[in-house]
Amino acid sequence: MNLIVCIKRVPETADADVSIDKSGKDIDKSGLAFDLNEWDSYAIEEAIRLKEKMGGTVTVLSIGGEDSNESLRKCLAMGADEAMRLTDPAFDGSDGLARAKILAEAIRKIPYDLILTGTQAEDDGYGQVGAALAELLGIPHATLITRLEVQEKKVKVHRELEGGLEEVCEMDLPAVLTIQTGINEPRYVSIMGIRKVAKKEIKTLNASDLSLKAEEVGFAGSDIRLEKVYLPPTGEGAEILEGKPEEIAVKVFEILKDKGGLA
Amino acid sequence: MENIEMNFAEKFELYGCFQCGKCTGGCPVSLKSKLNIRRLMMEGILGRISEKISEREELWDCTTCKTCTLRCPRGLKPMDLIIGMRGNLVEEGHIPKTIIDALESVYKQGNPWGKQRNKRTEWLKTLSEEVSIKDYSKGDRAEYLYFVGCTPSFDPRIQEVAKALVSVMKKAEVDFGILGNEEQCCGNEIRRMGEAGLFEELVDGNMQCFESHQIERIIAMCPHGFNALKNEYPQGKFEVSHTTQVLAKSLEEGKLSLRKEIKKVVTYHDPCFLGKQNQVFDEPRMLLSAIPGLTFKELDRSRERSLCCEGGGGRMWVESSSESGQRLAEIRIQDAVELGAEIIATSCPFCVLTLEDAVKTSGNEEKIIVKDVMELLADSME
Amino acid sequence: MKEILVIAEHRRKEMRDVTWEMLSKARQLAEGMDGKIGVALLGHGINSLAEDLRSKAHQVFLIEDPRLEVYNAETYQRVLTQLIIERKPFLTLIGHTAMGMDFAPSLAVHLKMPLATDCIGIDLSGETFSLTRQLYGGKVNATVSFSKNGPYMVTVRSGAFPVMEKDSISGEVISYPSPLSDEGLARRFLQYVDAVIGEVDITQADILVSVGRGIKEADNIPMVKEFADAIGGVLACSRPVVDKKWLPKERQVGTSGKTVKPKVYIAIGISGAFQHVAGMKGSGTVIAINKDPKAPIFSVATYGIVADLFKMVPVLKEKIKEMRKK
Repeated sequence: MNLIVCIKRVPETADADVSIDKSGKDIDKSGLAFDLNEWDSYAIEEAIRLKEKMGGTVTVLSIGGEDSNESLRKCLAMGADEAMRLTDPAFDGSDGLARAKILAEAIRKIPYDLILTGTQAEDDGYGQVGAALAELLGIPHATLITRLEVQEKKVKVHRELEGGLEEVCEMDLPAVLTIQTGINEPRYVSIMGIRKVAKKEIKTLNASDLSLKAEEVGFAGSDIRLEKVYLPPTGEGAEILEGKPEEIAVKVFEILKDKGGLA
Repeated sequence: MENIEMNFAEKFELYGCFQCGKCTGGCPVSLKSKLNIRRLMMEGILGRISEKISEREELWDCTTCKTCTLRCPRGLKPMDLIIGMRGNLVEEGHIPKTIIDALESVYKQGNPWGKQRNKRTEWLKTLSEEVSIKDYSKGDRAEYLYFVGCTPSFDPRIQEVAKALVSVMKKAEVDFGILGNEEQCCGNEIRRMGEAGLFEELVDGNMQCFESHQIERIIAMCPHGFNALKNEYPQGKFEVSHTTQVLAKSLEEGKLSLRKEIKKVVTYHDPCFLGKQNQVFDEPRMLLSAIPGLTFKELDRSRERSLCCEGGGGRMWVESSSESGQRLAEIRIQDAVELGAEIIATSCPFCVLTLEDAVKTSGNEEKIIVKDVMELLADSME
Repeated sequence: MKEILVIAEHRRKEMRDVTWEMLSKARQLAEGMDGKIGVALLGHGINSLAEDLRSKAHQVFLIEDPRLEVYNAETYQRVLTQLIIERKPFLTLIGHTAMGMDFAPSLAVHLKMPLATDCIGIDLSGETFSLTRQLYGGKVNATVSFSKNGPYMVTVRSGAFPVMEKDSISGEVISYPSPLSDEGLARRFLQYVDAVIGEVDITQADILVSVGRGIKEADNIPMVKEFADAIGGVLACSRPVVDKKWLPKERQVGTSGKTVKPKVYIAIGISGAFQHVAGMKGSGTVIAINKDPKAPIFSVATYGIVADLFKMVPVLKEKIKEMRKK
């Protein structure tokens, strides 16, 4: 079983104060910690569990600069066999579609049975790369996977729909699956584990290695152009309750009586 | 596997064990947890220790209070065996999610509480404006580095203790500075959770930081940091004191003017990392006894025999595997209430947090409160 | 005349809200450019749904085929490819839902059509779109545009566009032949699995106390549970709490959990990611407690409390308990 996992290194913003940088087109990332995209961490864990169960190899791919080596090494330490970084100045500014094109060209060069990636990325949230990649490769796909089971030349999956409903479907291999959080519990990667893979080679491939023309990728090859980013308007709806905690409690009690029927 | 077994037995000198059982006898969690350290020692000798190691969830019950090691008549180190076994689990990566979160937070943000690195000094903003604190990271120099620690920096309850400490040290004219946002986790708990590699990285990073600021003396408020810096960092580079030691000296020199009466019955809970592991027993008691109006009463289990509060060894980030059995901190509070104490004082952030929880869960909120020694000193100096 | 094509989303013979939301937005866009609204309805035995859609679209393209009984990315792609090539809509709107995010990206690649996903705002001036998306989990908004010429495809977030009451269009239902044959599919639907109905049903509660990532650890959940008990509320939570297995899935509010409409919804330590908000925005009154005054939850809350939840919740519990006794 040859497994490929596509991952991305992203800044962690969930608990951080975020501000806009000078370009007006991104957030100020200084002072932010970076890590493997949360959805991708479930994807790599799932791939490694499959490998541990059925044998085979896990190859991890990521588009990005040298910074991305940190996340690729984390995957190697988790148990991936090979890591490849797809990097070229021409890749800068790639949207979801352009990223899918880059990944597809790299994947065409390796044997594969199953490709896993996160359902979306924490940073741009396109939620597009996995399904687009499948179409470029001409293979079936399914998104939002919360359970999977590889059978003879096919894979049976559970997709997470709205309202707690799940769809069960199966598809022929090879296929692309985009993984939803909570499918497993990603393992911890120790510092010793990282040190053990510190010397392992991370192959890099650039645009010409992938036979990609500059106009197919990056800004030129993207359908979406980012014009500007800004902080969303906040608190417009909420009336802020002020005062000491005890005073606020009185107000909350009144609201509960009035609106919630609290006796 | 065989290789690992041999490593365990040799690395932790298990062959010296003659199964006297003093370790388990002294273990504060053995009564309610499956954890049986004597049996682990034997399994190690028999080469059966790594069987189902990932299913031994009771390994996370150990508080690393070190009673087993301190009581071993052969001078063996049973506690280190547990930490070593945890190390194996950490290497495999299959450890409780809450432990993973704490370790990853330390790696990324330099603290186990999931807070941003650059917010470490936010607590200073709540100090009154007249109080200025020296900051090495801004070029200041001082006699002592006050190593604040993660919990005092980020936990709202312990920030109060840190603030009390700052006010006491200022009044006692202790010349101190902090590392500002350059400070990071000391690694004491990290090592005890079995993440030896991360501990090494923290030591390297902190040593470089200390050296760059030419630090010679360190004051630690948290006994866990005190223990790591004093015993587990490279020796001979700097001198480490606990806050109670520094202030006891100030008291002797007459620099601590404790004027305001605290007419309360107070007892003292010895933190494992300060007391039994580092023999700092007298200083906190000296300080408490110097407070006018205060009646000091000793708990039955005190000093070397002090009962662990279950806050150490990573237990701040993982629940005990045993469903049954009373929390030790609740027993501690019960003992203090029965003693007639109105205040249970201690001098460790984790002890303050676990004891305060226990006051609530045991329904003793009306009867007793938990205070750090520093808070009582600050109250008496007002 | 330009056409906007909306891909209707339905499941188990029921239209899903996002369909009406898209049609409402399509109406607004169509009015601005003198365009027409078409809606594609793929399925089997859904004539009544087609009738329902007539009020909101000029043309309802009904593709009836037993092979379309349930959604499948592959069958949808085949049917929609033919329909879109034939109709040449200027804009195709699809929900950014478990269904839409599954088929839109591959369909767009197949049709070589520029796609913008998960949009919460669509503005059109002349032929140029200006779209609003969210980045970094909703921490910032972004304005994006297409760098290629249309026709275009956009997926829209559930709940982003309000359903507006407008005069009925009384459009016509046009049956469209299905291009599907019995040739084998690479992806095959097997079954639906319903969520296990547990002991609690958070959708039935008048007062819900919902806890999020801000609770930090499992140990702190009982504190919120006690508060919920003190005010006769039911405990619920956001997704991260379920992912960490601190509360069971049946307590989860949001797109992947339950949609709730209690009289009062109290959000504690919940930042307000859209997946969560989508599941609770129908609540009568929303009270949010968060220490970050910029948390998006405050923009959907009726009342906000900017405070450390660990300090606030115990006081709320005690004080309200006390007042209820009186």
